[in-house]
Amino acid sequence: MKDEPQEDVFSERLDLGLWARVFGHARPYKRLLVPLAISAVVIALCDATFALVTRWAVDDVVGAHSAVNLWPHVIVYAVLTAALIASVWVFINSAGGLANHMSHDIRAECFKRIQQLEFAYFDHRPTGWLISRLTSDCDKLARIISWGTLDLVWAVCLIAVIAVILVALHPVLGLLVLSVVPPLVFISAFFQKKLLLSSRETRKYNSMITASFAEALQGLRTSKALVREKENLGEFQRLSSSMYEVSIQNALQSAVYIPIVLTLGSLAAGIALWRGGVDVTGGKLSLGTLVAFIFYAGQFFNPVNQIAQVLVQMQGAQAAGERVLSLLATVPGIRDSEAVRQRLEEWDKPDRPADLAPDGYPREIASLEFRHVDFSYEDGEPVLRDFNLTVDAGQTIALVGASGGGKSTIVNLAARFYEPTGGSILVNGHDLRDRSLEWYQSNLGIVLQGPHLFSGSVRENIRYGRLDATDAEIEAAALSVNADGFIRALENGYDTDVGEGGNRLSTGQKQLVSFARALLSNPRIFIMDEATSSIDTETEQLIQQGLKAIFKGRISFVIAHRLSTIRTADRILVIEKGRILESGTHDSLIAAKGHYHALYTHQFRQERDAGLLESVHQSQPAQQISPST
Amino acid sequence: MANRQSQPTAAPLALLWQLMRGFRGQYAWAIAALFVFTAINYITPLVASATIDFAISGKPAENVPTTRILALMGGADFVKERLWFPALLMVALTMIAGVFNYVKGRCAARASDGIARRLKDRLYDHLQHLPASYHDRAETGDLIQRCTSDVETLRLALSTQVVEVSNATLLVLTALPIMVLLDGRMTLVSFTLVLPIFLFGYFYIARVKHLFREVDEAEGQVTRVVQENLTGLRVVRAFARQEFEIDKFAEPNKLYRDRSLKLLRLMSWYWSTSDLFVVTQQGLVLFTGAWFISQGTLTVGTLFAFIMFLNMLLWPVRQMGRTLTDFGKSLVALTRMGEILAEPEESAPDVSVLPKGPPAGAIEVRDLVFGHGEGPAAINGISFTVEAGETLAILGPSGSGKSTIMHLLLRLYDYQSGSIRFDGHELRDLDRQWLRSQFGVVMQEPFLFSKSIGDNIRLGRHGAASDEISEAARVADIHDTINGFPSGYATLVGERGVTLSGGQRQRVALARALLQDAPVLLLDDALSAVDAETEATILDALRRRHGKRTTLVIAHRLSTLAHADKVIVLEHGRIIQHGTHEELASQEGLYRRLWTIQNSIENELLETATKDP
Repeated sequence: MKDEPQEDVFSERLDLGLWARVFGHARPYKRLLVPLAISAVVIALCDATFALVTRWAVDDVVGAHSAVNLWPHVIVYAVLTAALIASVWVFINSAGGLANHMSHDIRAECFKRIQQLEFAYFDHRPTGWLISRLTSDCDKLARIISWGTLDLVWAVCLIAVIAVILVALHPVLGLLVLSVVPPLVFISAFFQKKLLLSSRETRKYNSMITASFAEALQGLRTSKALVREKENLGEFQRLSSSMYEVSIQNALQSAVYIPIVLTLGSLAAGIALWRGGVDVTGGKLSLGTLVAFIFYAGQFFNPVNQIAQVLVQMQGAQAAGERVLSLLATVPGIRDSEAVRQRLEEWDKPDRPADLAPDGYPREIASLEFRHVDFSYEDGEPVLRDFNLTVDAGQTIALVGASGGGKSTIVNLAARFYEPTGGSILVNGHDLRDRSLEWYQSNLGIVLQGPHLFSGSVRENIRYGRLDATDAEIEAAALSVNADGFIRALENGYDTDVGEGGNRLSTGQKQLVSFARALLSNPRIFIMDEATSSIDTETEQLIQQGLKAIFKGRISFVIAHRLSTIRTADRILVIEKGRILESGTHDSLIAAKGHYHALYTHQFRQERDAGLLESVHQSQPAQQISPST
Repeated sequence: MANRQSQPTAAPLALLWQLMRGFRGQYAWAIAALFVFTAINYITPLVASATIDFAISGKPAENVPTTRILALMGGADFVKERLWFPALLMVALTMIAGVFNYVKGRCAARASDGIARRLKDRLYDHLQHLPASYHDRAETGDLIQRCTSDVETLRLALSTQVVEVSNATLLVLTALPIMVLLDGRMTLVSFTLVLPIFLFGYFYIARVKHLFREVDEAEGQVTRVVQENLTGLRVVRAFARQEFEIDKFAEPNKLYRDRSLKLLRLMSWYWSTSDLFVVTQQGLVLFTGAWFISQGTLTVGTLFAFIMFLNMLLWPVRQMGRTLTDFGKSLVALTRMGEILAEPEESAPDVSVLPKGPPAGAIEVRDLVFGHGEGPAAINGISFTVEAGETLAILGPSGSGKSTIMHLLLRLYDYQSGSIRFDGHELRDLDRQWLRSQFGVVMQEPFLFSKSIGDNIRLGRHGAASDEISEAARVADIHDTINGFPSGYATLVGERGVTLSGGQRQRVALARALLQDAPVLLLDDALSAVDAETEATILDALRRRHGKRTTLVIAHRLSTLAHADKVIVLEHGRIIQHGTHEELASQEGLYRRLWTIQNSIENELLETATKDP
C-alpha cells in the first residue's frame, strides 16, 4: 500500500497554492463570480444598515414631540429591502450555479482521466475510493468554492460594516462592544476544529458501516451457508455502537459551543446596556443609538461563526482538493508519445488510404514480437525476465503452467495494459510505443476469466464489441459461440436484462456472452484468459470448432487449464517463473516427455490407476472415438 | 429471535413511533429543556427593555410586564444607579439558558442517534434473514443507500427538526400571551404576515418536492455509471471504449447538473420571496411602532422588545423551507426503509424437528420441482438418493439446474413441489440454520470476507486451532501459497489486501468448507479455476477422506467426477442419465460424448506412453 488510499490525510495549514489551483476551475464562470461578490457585499451592507434605519426612526420619533413624517424612513427601508431581496436572488443563483457547473466540470474531467490511466494505477486503489473522488469530493470542493466564498465575503463585509458604524457612532462604546469579537473568533475556531474532527470520525465509521452492508449483501449466500448471521450482526453492532459514540460526542461539542458563543453575545449587549445606559442618562448618547448598539452586539455571532466554519471546512475540503487535483494531475503512464500524436494529426483524416491506420502505418497486424522483455509490478518483484516471442498472423499461442508464473502478465503486455520495464514489444517490427494506443487496443478481442457484463440487455452487452453492429450480426456472433440457444430461452431473449454485473446469468453463460462480444469486435489479436473454465465440455467443444475458423488469419493467445482447449494451438509455451520452459506443438511436447508431458499425464495417470480407462477401453474401442460427435 | 416472521407493512409515521420506543422519554426531556431555554430567552430582552424604558429614559412606571421585571431588579432608581446589574443579569440569564440548551442537545442527540443505531442494526439483521430470492431482485447499491444515507437523513431530521418544530411551536405559544400583555395592537401587526409566509412556504415546497427526489435519482445515476465503469474497467480497455464511456457518463452528469440548477432556480425564488415577507414584516412592526411612539401610545422599550421577539419568531419561519424539505425527505426515507422491513424473512417451520444423534448425511430427493419466478422450471421433476458417505457427481450444460439443486439443499430457495429428505426428515420441517450447518459448501464464485486469510478459513469452525487451519489449507493445496505472502495467514483479503486469483479464492473457500467438517460437502464447480495438476493433488487428498462424508460435486472435468459413486446428468432441469461412471461410459448419451471429448486426448497420451515406454 503505497498511499493508503482509504486513510484521509489532512494537513493542518491551508495550502494557498492548492486553493489557487482549485479556484482556477472557476475561471470559465467569471460571469458568475462578479455578481456573486457584488451580491455578498450588498447583502452585508443591507444587513448592517437595517439597524441604522431603526435608530434613525426611533430617534426621530422620540426627539420630536409632535407628529413626525415617517415616509422618508419607510422609503429608505423599502429601498434597502428591494436591494436585499434582489441580492439574495442573485447570490443564490450565482453561487449555486457556480457550484453545480464546477462540480460537473471537475467530475467530467476526473472521469475522463480515469479512462486514460493505466492499469497499474488501479492496482492499489479500491473502486470505492475512486467513486468517492468523483462524487463526494467533487461536490465538496465545488460547494466550498461557491457557498464558502459567499459566506466568507458576506461575513467579512458584515463585520467590517458593523465595526465602522459602531466606532463612528460612539468610539469608546464601539471598541468596548467590538472587544468580544477576538475571543469569539478564537473560541469559534477552536470548536469548529473539534467539531470537524469528530464529524470526520463519524464519517469514517459511516463508511465502514457502508462497507459492512455491502459485504453482507455480496456475501449473503456464503453467510447463510455458514450460518454466520449472529456473528455478523455482532460485528456490525460493534461498528454501529462506535458510530453512536462519536456521533454523540459531536452533538455534545456543539451543545457546549453554542451556549458559550451566545453568552459572549449577551456580554457584548450587556456592556452596551451598562456603558451606553450611563451615557444616555448623562445625555451623551441618544436612546436610538443605544438600541442600535444592543442590536449590533447580538449580530456578531452569525458572521463570526460563519467565518470559523468556512475556514475549518476549507481545511477539510483541502484533502478533497488534494485528492481530486492529484487525480487530475496524474499523467497516464501509457499514452501516445509526442511523435505518435504528430502522426495522428497528420494522418487521422477521412481521406487517408484504406490500408493505413490513423497513425499512418499499415492497418494490418502481421506480427507481434516480444524482444528481451523484462517486467515487474510496482512492488518490484520481477515477473518476466528476458522474454522473447514472435507470433505471426494466423498463429495461435497457448500458454500453460502453474498460476503465478506470468501467463496473464504476458497477455496484459500484449494488450498494452502494462508496458515492459525493459526490452520492447513490436508490432509489424515497429515498437508498440510508436503506434497509436487507441488504434492498437481497438484491434484486440479479449475474453477474461471473470467475465464482466454491464447492466442492460444481452444484446447491448454483445454490441459493446462493435457499436455499429446490426442485430443480425449480434445474433450471428452469439450463434457462433453457441450462446444463441440459451439466450433465446431467456424470458425476453436478446432483450433480457442481465442485471448488475450480469448476475442474473450463470458464470458459464456470462462467459459465452463475453465470448460473443469479443468475436463481434472482429479483432486482429484475440486473447482468451481462462475464458472457458466455467463452460461445460460439450459447449466448449462446439466453441473450439468455431474458433478454429475464427483464429484463422489472427494472432491468438490462449491461457487455459483444459487440455482440449490448448492442444490445437500452433505453439504451446510452458511458462514458469517468467520464462519459457518448453515450446512446441502438443505432439512434439508430449513426445519430448518434459514438463508438459508431466503436467498432463499426471492427471491421466491417476485415472488409469483408478482403473477407469480400462473400463472405457473394454466397452468402446479407441478407433470409434471421434471428437466430431 | 422469536419474532423472525414478517412484520405487517407499517405506515411511515407508525414505524417512526415504534422506533422511538424507549427514546420518547429522552425527547420529552429535550423538549422540556428547550421550553425553559426559550422562556429565559424571552426574559433577557425584557431586562434590556425595562432598563431602557424606566431606568434610562426615566419614564413613569406603567402596568406592563416590564415594570414587574424592573420591580424584581430592585426598582428604577436602584437600577439607574447600578446599570451594571441588568447587564450582569442578562449575561447570567444567557448562561443559565445555555445549560438548558446543553441538556436539550444531549437528550436529542441520544434519542436520535439511538434510533439511528437501532434502525441500522434492525435493517442489517433483517437483510441477512431475507430469502435469497429477495436479494436476486434487489439492487445492492439501492439497498446500501437505503440503509445508510436514508437512515442518516432520518437521523438529521430527528435530531434537529423534531426539536426545532417543537421549539417554534413553543415560541409562538409562549410569546403570544407576553406580547398581548405588552401591547395588543403591536401583536396584531407582528402576526400580519406570519400566516401568508407559512402558507406560501407550505405550498411552494409541496410543488417542488418532486424535484428533490429527481435530483437524488440523478445523483444515483452518476454514481451507478462510475461504479459500473470502474468494475468493468478491463472490459472498457479491452474494447478501447473510453470515448463511448465518456459519452455515457456525460449524460447523467449533465442531467444531475441541470436538475440541480432547476431546483436551485426555483429555490432562489422561494428564499427571496420568503425573505421579502420577513423583511416587510419587520418593517411593518418598526414603522407602526414608531408611529405609535410618536402618538405617545408606545414606549421605545416595548418596541425594542417587539423587534427582538420578531427576530426570534421569524427565524424558524425563514427555516421553514428547510424544515419542510427535511420532513419530506425523511418521509421518503422512512417509506423506503419500511419497504425493506416489511419484506417477509425466511420462513421457519411450524414445528421444528431437531434430529437426535449425530447426523449421517443421507439425502433423498423425490419429484423435485422448482422455478424462479415466471420463467420455465429450473428443476423439473428430479429424483435421486445419496446414501450417507457416498459421493454424487452432477453433470450437465450451463443453465441445466446443477447449482439450483445445491441451493435447494441449502434451502436458499424453497422448492415448489416434491420432497427433499435429509436423514429421513423433510427439509421444510428442519430448522434452516441447523440444516445449513450440516453442509460444507464451496460455491462457483466463492465469496471471501474482508478479513485475514486465516480468519476466513476459521469461519468454517469457530475456535479452530491454527494447526487445524493450516491442515485444512494443506488439503486444499493453498497452504504454501499463503505462506508465500509476506504476512502469511494474517494477509488481508480484498481491496485493501492481496487480490487472490480465482483459483486461490476457490481453494481458500475449500479449506474453509473442509475445516467445517460437516456431514455433507457441496462442491459447486469448486475447482474450475484451478489448474489440472493442482486439482489432481486436491482430489487425491479429498479421496483419502472419502467414505466419511457425503459429497455432492458439480464439475465439468470428468477427472473430477470419475470417482463418484453415482453420476447424474442434467439437461433442462431433468435427469437424462444416471448410474455409475462405468455404466454411463458404456451408454450412448451426453455422458459418453463428454467422456469421449475429454478422453480422446488422454487416449492419445496413453498411446504415446505405451508406444514408447
